[in-house]
Amino acid sequence: MRNFIFSFLALILLPAYMSGQVIKGKVLDKNGIGIPGAIVVSPSSNADTDFDGNFNINASVGDVLKVSMLGFEAVSVKATVNPMNITMLESEDTALREVVIIGYGTRKKIDNTTAITSLKAEEISRTKVLNASQAIQGKAAGVQVVSSDLPGSSPSVIIRGLGTALGGRTPLYIVDGMPTENINNINTNDITSYEILKDASALAIYGTRAANGVIIITTKKGKGDGVTVEVESFVGFREPLKKVKMAGSNKYSYYSNSALQTTTFSQDQPVNTDWFDAITRTGSYTQNNISVSGSTENIKYFFSLGNYQEKAVLNGLDYNRTTFRNNNEYKISKKLTLNQNFSFGLTNSNPKPLSAFTNAYKQSPIIPVRFSTGQYGVSFVGNDGFAGTTGSSFNNVGNPVAQLDFFDEEQKSIILQGGLKLDYEILKSLKFTSQFNGEYYTWKNYNFEDTKNIWLAADPSRTESQYSTTANVNLLTKGRNQYFNWNLSNYVTYNEVFGDIHDIELTGGIETSIKGAREQLTISRKNVNEDSNYWSLSGVNEVGNVTNYTDEVFNETKLASYFGRFQYKLMDRYLITGTIRRDGSSNFGKDYRWGTFPAFGLGWVVSKEDFMANVKGINLLKLRGGWGKLGNQNVPLNNQAYSSGLSSYLGGSILYQGTTINSQVDPSLSWEITEEASAGLDFELLDSRLKGSFDVYDKTTTNVILNTKPYITSGISNSSPAHVGEVSNKGYEVALRWDDKITDNLSYWVGGNFSNNTNELKSLKDATLAPINGGGLGNGQWTKLLDNTSIGKPLGSFYMYEYAGFDPENGKMLYYTAAGTTVFQDALDANKDKKYTGSILPSSTYGVTLGANYRNFDLSVDGYGTSGAKVYNGKKAQRFSGENIEESVATNFWTLNNTSASNPAPFNQVPVASTYYLESGDFFRVNNISLGYKLPLAENSFLNYCRIYVNAINPFITQKFSGFSPELNGNGDPYGSQGIELDAYPTLRSLVIGANLKF
Amino acid sequence: MKKIYISMFVLSVYFFSGCSNDYLDVDQTESISTKDIALFNNDEGATTFVTAVYSKFLEWNMTSFSWIGVSSIASDDADKGSSPGDTGSDKDVMDALTYNASSPSTSEIFSANYEGINRCNQALNIVPQLDKANPALRTRLLAEAKFLRAFMYFTLVKTYGGVPIIDHLPNPSSDEDRIMQLTRKTTAEVYVFIESDLADAIAALPNKSEYAASEKGRASKGAAYALLAKVNLYQKKWQKVVDNCNLVTGYSIVSNYASMFRLAGENDAESIFEIQGTGSVPAKGIQGYSATQGARGAGGWGWGFNTPSQSLVNAYELGDVRKNATIIFAGTTLYDGRIVPTTVENPRYNYKAYSSAYTDAWESDINIKYLRYAEVVLMKAEALNELDQTPAAILLLNQIRKRAELGNTTAASKADVRIAIWKERRVEMAFEHDRFFDLVRTGQAVAAFAIDGKTFVAGKHEVFPLPQAFITQANGLSTQNLGY
Repeated sequence: MRNFIFSFLALILLPAYMSGQVIKGKVLDKNGIGIPGAIVVSPSSNADTDFDGNFNINASVGDVLKVSMLGFEAVSVKATVNPMNITMLESEDTALREVVIIGYGTRKKIDNTTAITSLKAEEISRTKVLNASQAIQGKAAGVQVVSSDLPGSSPSVIIRGLGTALGGRTPLYIVDGMPTENINNINTNDITSYEILKDASALAIYGTRAANGVIIITTKKGKGDGVTVEVESFVGFREPLKKVKMAGSNKYSYYSNSALQTTTFSQDQPVNTDWFDAITRTGSYTQNNISVSGSTENIKYFFSLGNYQEKAVLNGLDYNRTTFRNNNEYKISKKLTLNQNFSFGLTNSNPKPLSAFTNAYKQSPIIPVRFSTGQYGVSFVGNDGFAGTTGSSFNNVGNPVAQLDFFDEEQKSIILQGGLKLDYEILKSLKFTSQFNGEYYTWKNYNFEDTKNIWLAADPSRTESQYSTTANVNLLTKGRNQYFNWNLSNYVTYNEVFGDIHDIELTGGIETSIKGAREQLTISRKNVNEDSNYWSLSGVNEVGNVTNYTDEVFNETKLASYFGRFQYKLMDRYLITGTIRRDGSSNFGKDYRWGTFPAFGLGWVVSKEDFMANVKGINLLKLRGGWGKLGNQNVPLNNQAYSSGLSSYLGGSILYQGTTINSQVDPSLSWEITEEASAGLDFELLDSRLKGSFDVYDKTTTNVILNTKPYITSGISNSSPAHVGEVSNKGYEVALRWDDKITDNLSYWVGGNFSNNTNELKSLKDATLAPINGGGLGNGQWTKLLDNTSIGKPLGSFYMYEYAGFDPENGKMLYYTAAGTTVFQDALDANKDKKYTGSILPSSTYGVTLGANYRNFDLSVDGYGTSGAKVYNGKKAQRFSGENIEESVATNFWTLNNTSASNPAPFNQVPVASTYYLESGDFFRVNNISLGYKLPLAENSFLNYCRIYVNAINPFITQKFSGFSPELNGNGDPYGSQGIELDAYPTLRSLVIGANLKF
Repeated sequence: MKKIYISMFVLSVYFFSGCSNDYLDVDQTESISTKDIALFNNDEGATTFVTAVYSKFLEWNMTSFSWIGVSSIASDDADKGSSPGDTGSDKDVMDALTYNASSPSTSEIFSANYEGINRCNQALNIVPQLDKANPALRTRLLAEAKFLRAFMYFTLVKTYGGVPIIDHLPNPSSDEDRIMQLTRKTTAEVYVFIESDLADAIAALPNKSEYAASEKGRASKGAAYALLAKVNLYQKKWQKVVDNCNLVTGYSIVSNYASMFRLAGENDAESIFEIQGTGSVPAKGIQGYSATQGARGAGGWGWGFNTPSQSLVNAYELGDVRKNATIIFAGTTLYDGRIVPTTVENPRYNYKAYSSAYTDAWESDINIKYLRYAEVVLMKAEALNELDQTPAAILLLNQIRKRAELGNTTAASKADVRIAIWKERRVEMAFEHDRFFDLVRTGQAVAAFAIDGKTFVAGKHEVFPLPQAFITQANGLSTQNLGY
C-alpha cells in the first residue's frame, strides 16, 4: 500500500500521452508472485500494476517498457504482443521500499530522522473492531490505547505519556488532510495507512495541536487497470470475557442479616435472580463492505460502502453505522493533479445506561425480575423474609431490567467529510499543493422518559390515582447538535539534488484551521402522546408543555499558521531536518496568541558507510535523534463572562433574571508547551529477517494549566486556569520483529514491542490549586486527587486511605493513620490520613504478534499487556446496606467463629475510599487470533480471490483484578472514571466468521 | 481547472492578508463577555445583579441540605431521620454534634454565604456604573444588596463567630486584599459591619407595601429593621431591640398559623422576609428542600431527613395548634387529603417543607419564612422583659399564644417569663432554622441537648468549625475555632 502512494507521486511527475495499442502483462518477483504497485512506463504512457501485478499500458510493440518499483532493481524490456511476464529482482536495500507520511509530504523511511510508526492496512483491519485506534492496540511502541467494547465509544490514545491534566489529551488525527478528533466515522476497511508521529521532531510541523501526538490516516485510492470489486462480510458473536460471581440468594440473606444484625431475610429464598444474566444477552455484530476501485489513464477511483451493525451484550443497546467513501484522483494535465475525497458516515444507536451493570451487581438476588403479579421486582422485604410487592425497602437500587426497559433513547448522527487537493508541478523540482478539507457533523437524539410508569414501577403498591396530578406523565427530550469545521493549507515543496550528494528538500506553507461554532439545541417537553408517531404534530404550539429549552452556540476557534521544513541529505547517509511552525490561536488573549514551535532532527545511516560494507549480518543501521517544541491549544479558555441564569421569583409569577460575575481570570493564559528530546536506533539484521528499533525520549510540559482557586472568602466559586505545573514523561521503546521463510510454502513472523514511561508532576508554581477531586463514586467518596500535594506523583494518581486489615475482635475495617496507627473509619482525618496509592497510568505496555502462512492458510496472533497501573473496584466500593456482595466475600467474611477470614465483617456504613478496593491493573490479553484460508481459485475466473477466516477477539486474558475488566477507559479522563470500574462496560470476547472476496 | 487553483490560491492569500491578528478575533458566543457591560446599562440590567443574590438563597449549598444539617438537625428540634444506614453524607455527625472541620455541611454553609456576598459585592460594584438605569432604582438596588449582605454576615457570625469581612471585590494581585480575605475579624467587628450595612439599607429601602405584587419578596425597610432588631437581640442590646421592633410597621399576626406554610400564605401580612420558591414551570425553588425532608419509604416521597424530635413533640402544650401544623405524623391525613401511611420509615416529618402541589419535586413552591412578625413580637417581648417591663412582655407573649389557641401564660416573674418566651420561640418557630442559634444565644444549649440525649460542649459547640480548606488557605492568618 505504501508503495502505491509513492507510485502515485511518481505518476504526477511523468508525462502521459495516449498512443499505440494496449500491451498487457504481469510483473512478478523471483518467486513468481505478482508485485502490486510497480510502475510501468512506455515512451507514450505509464501505468502501475494491480494487486496481483497485472498491468495494461498503451505502447507500441517494440517500445521499451521501464518497470520500476521501490525495493526492486529497475527493469527495461521490449513490449510484445503476447501478455508479458516481467520478473523483478529485489534490490539489496529493503528499507528503501518503505515510505512514511510526514506532515505535508512524504519521506522515504530510510531518510526519515523522526520517530514514526507506520501501520499497514492489513494490521488495522485484522482485528474486527469498529474504531481503527482500538485495532492498533499493542502494535505500536509508545502508544497506549485504552479502549472499551461499548459500541461507538472512542478509545483513549496516549502517545509517549500524558502531558496535560486539564487540556485535551486526544492526539490530532489528520484524515486525508482533515484535522479531526475522532475517527469513529472512518470505516477501517477504507484505511490504507495509519501513521503515528511520536517525537517532537516529527510533530513540530503541526505546532500548537501536536503535543498529544499526531495520527495521519490515509484512505484508499483506485489502482490497477479495470475494475476491482472487493467484498468483505463477517458476523461475530460476543460475550463478556470475564464475569464476577455474585452471592446467591441464601448467601446474600445470611450476609445481609449479619450486617443488619437482624433476621430480616429468610435463609431459604424461593428466588435466586442472576441480575447480570437478566440484563445481558449474547451480543452479535456484522459488517458488510463492498468497494469498487480502478483506474484509467487519467482517473483513479475508489468507492466503498460499509455497514456495521451490533446488537450489544447489554439488552436493548443497538448500534448501526453506515459509511460511504469516494476518493478520486484526476490527472488534469501533465502538471496538474486533483484529488477529491468524500465520505459520509451515518450512525444510528439506541444507547442504554451503563449504570445498569452497577445496579445488576448490587441488586439483591432474592428479588425476582418480575413478581407473579407481572410487576417489576423491587427491593421490598416482607415479614416472611422474602421479597414482595409490599414490605420495607431494603436498598436504594432500582430494578436494572426495568431501568433498561424504561430507558428509551435513539441517537442519529451524520458526518460528512470531504476535500480537494491540488498538486501543481511548477518546475520539475518545485511543486505547489493546495488542499481544502471540510467536515460537517449533525447529530440528533430523543430520550423518552415514561415518568408516571417509572414511578408506578418503583413501588408495586402505588396506584395511578396516587400520582400527582401536576406531575409530568412523561417527558420527551430532543437534542440537535451540529458543527462545520474546515481547513485550508497551501504549501510548496522544492526538491533538488546538487552535485549528486546534496539532496535538499524545502517545504513552506500557510494554513488556517477553523473549528466552527458548535450549535446545540435541547428541548424537553412533558405529557407527549404515547405513540411516538405523534410526538411532532403539525400546527401544534407546544409552548405550554416545554419544561426545558436550551439553545447554545459554543465559541468558534480559529488557527492561522505558517510552517516550514528543511530536509538535507548528504551522501545518502547524513540527514538533517529542521522544522518551524508559527501558530496564532483565537483561544488566547491578543498579546499571547502567537507562538513559535521549532524542531530539528539528525540522522546517520551507519550501514551505508564504507567501513560497514564488509560487516556481515547488518543490513541496516541508522541512528537518529532530535529535539522540538510543541503546543497544546486545547486548554480551558479564560474568557471572563457574566454568569447568567441566576434567576428568582420575588413573590409573584414573574421570574426575574439574575446575573453576576463568578470568576477571576489570568489574561496571560496561552498554550501548554512541551519540549522533547529523543534519540533512536533502527536496525535490520540477518538478511533483514530481524528488524527493530529502539527509542528513548525525555519530554517535559513546562507550563501545564491547572485550575487555581480563588480564596473561599472571595465567594468566587469558579476556579481560574493558570500556567502552574510542570509534567515530565521519560521513557524508552523497543520494537523487534523476526520474519522468515522455512520453505516456499511456510513463512512465519514473531514480533513484539515494549514501552516504558515514567510520568511525574515535577513541580508547581506558588499557587493554591483548586483540587481536582477525581474518581467520584457518587456516594461522597473520591478516589483521585490533584492538588498542591501531588508533586512527584504521576498524573491520574489515586489518593485514599490505606486499608490495614480488620480488627479480629469485631471484624471492623481498620485503616492506617498518618502516624502509622490503625483506626476505624470514623476516626480518620481526611486532611492527614490519605495517601497517594499509585496511578491509573501504566508504567509499561507491551504487545506481541506472531503469525504464519502455510500454503493457503494464514494464522496470526496479537497480544497486549500493561503493567504498573492501578484500578479501583468502584462498584464494590459503592456497595451499601441491603445490596448484593460477591460470592468470594459472602463465603469468607469475619464472624466470631472465623476471625481470620479474608474479608471484614458485614457493614452498612458507606466505606471510605481505601486500598481495600484498589487492585493491580496488570493484565495480558490475547487481543486477536485470526485464521484464514484462501480458496485456490483461478486468477482469471470471475471470483478471483476468496479468503475465509475465523477470528477470536480477546479470547484469553490473565488479570489480577477481581472485577470484569482491568481495561477501564471510563470517560477517558484520568481524573474522571478512567481506571475505575463503576458503570463500566465489560470487555468482550468475540468469535467472528467472515470472508473477503474479490471479483 | 486552473481557475480553481488560482481562486483557491487567491482565497488563501486573502485569509492571511492584512493583519492576521484581526482574523483571529473571535467573539464569545457561549457566555457574555464581561467587556460587554453596556448590555446591562438599563433598569432591567441593573436589577439582574441583585436578583442573582436572591437567587443564591435558592441554591442547594446555601439553604438546603447542609443548612438543614447545621441549623436544624444539629439542634434538639430535629433528628437526622431517613434510613439508619443513610448518612446524608454527614447528617449523622451533624445530629450527634461530632462534626469536624471537614464536614461537608459546615464547610458548605461557609462558602455558600461568601458566594452570596460576592454577588452582593458584584452588584455594589457594577450597579453604580450603570448610568443609564434609573437613579432611584439604583439606590434601592444598592440598599437591597446591603440588606442581603448583612443577612449573610449575620448567618456567618451566628454559625462561625468572627469571619473575614469582604466589603469590596478583592483584586487577585493585591496583597492587602489577600490579607483581607484570609483574616478573621472579631464577632463584634462583624456585628458592627452588619449594623452599618443595615443602616444604609434602612435609609434607602421602601416599605413592603410600596413594592409591586410581583416583588413582595424584595428586601424592605421593615425587613431591615426586623433584622437589625434580631442583630441587637443577639448582642443583648435590649433597648435597641425594642426601638427597632417598633419601627417594623405594616405587619400583623395572621389568624391561622398553619396557613403561613402553605402556598396561600406566602408573603402574607405576617411575612417580613422570606425566600421565594415556585414550583410551576419554569420551576425555581429551593433546590432539594422539600425532597430531602419528604417522607421516606413506602408511601413516601422524599429522602426523609430532618425529622422532628421527641423533645420537640414534648415541647408543645396540649391543644397547641402549631404541633400539627409543624409535624407530619405517620399514619395521618394531610390538609390536602394526602394520606401518609404508617409504612414510611420515620414516625414524623417536617410539615413546613411539605409542598402539596410539587411534593417530590427538586424545586418546589416551598418558601422559607426567615423573618415574620410573630418573631418581632417575641423579640420585643424578650427585650421588654429584660428591661424589666415584664407585664408588657406578657401581653405580647399572649398575643402569640392566642393564635396558637392556647391560654395566657402562667409565667409572671421576670425569670419565668424569660423562660416562657424562649419556649414560645421554640414552638412558634420550629423548623424555621432558628433553634440551634437561639439555644446558643440564650445559653440553654447544654441543658436542652442533654434532654435530647446529646452532649453540647460549652466553649466549643457554640460555633461550628471553619472549613479546614479555609484554615489551610489562611496559612496562619486565621485560627480555627476552639475545640476543632
